[in-house]
Amino acid sequence: MKTRILFTLLVSAALALAACGKKEAPKTAPTQAPTSAPAPSSAPAGIAVSGVTAGKAIGADKKVTAPTEAFATGDTMYVSIDTTGSGNAKLDAKWTYRKGDKVAVVKEETMTINATGPATNEFHVSKPDGWPAGDYEVEVMLDGKPAGSKKLTVK
Amino acid sequence: MSDDMPDFSNVKGGSSSTATKIYVVVAGDSLSKIAKREYGNANEWKLIFEANKDILKDPDKIYPGQKLKIPPK
Repeated sequence: MKTRILFTLLVSAALALAACGKKEAPKTAPTQAPTSAPAPSSAPAGIAVSGVTAGKAIGADKKVTAPTEAFATGDTMYVSIDTTGSGNAKLDAKWTYRKGDKVAVVKEETMTINATGPATNEFHVSKPDGWPAGDYEVEVMLDGKPAGSKKLTVK
Repeated sequence: MSDDMPDFSNVKGGSSSTATKIYVVVAGDSLSKIAKREYGNANEWKLIFEANKDILKDPDKIYPGQKLKIPPK
């Protein structure tokens, strides 16, 4: 009888130990999670352009300080682009000059950004000998797709 | 281009952002050159080096194709 009780106790103890061992399994699962966690954060959450502004100067926050679309021949032309969202995105600015039905590319600039939230980005152009008077346009593209434009004049 | 269109070959351009920019190294680049182009000051190369210590061990060794983070100034 004593042997039977002792056997029962040993079996119970063994089962209890096995159960304790199983409880540790979930602990290993969370440690693996962080290794796979960066995947969602590196996936582009999507960046969108929320505003395009042109002007003659920008502040430290990259925003145009005095928006205008009319420039003097010696001005630097700025275009400030506000974006929302996070991830990587390619921004392009294409500056053109229009005379009648003719169009000349003035300058094309590209930058790739890695945003973690709302950001302001700027492109600028200058011409040491002054801009010819006339009509200009700056087109902004986000990942190759049109995201806004501004018609500019130089007088 | 036709003769009556102005010459824009001397136009200078640039860009900056409040977000981190990603710059792809090309042949002939150095951190000083990149700093001069991005910040207007070659001495700011340390900013770029500090932001890329995970991939750069030596500031004098960068390679074409490397993608460097250019932090906002």
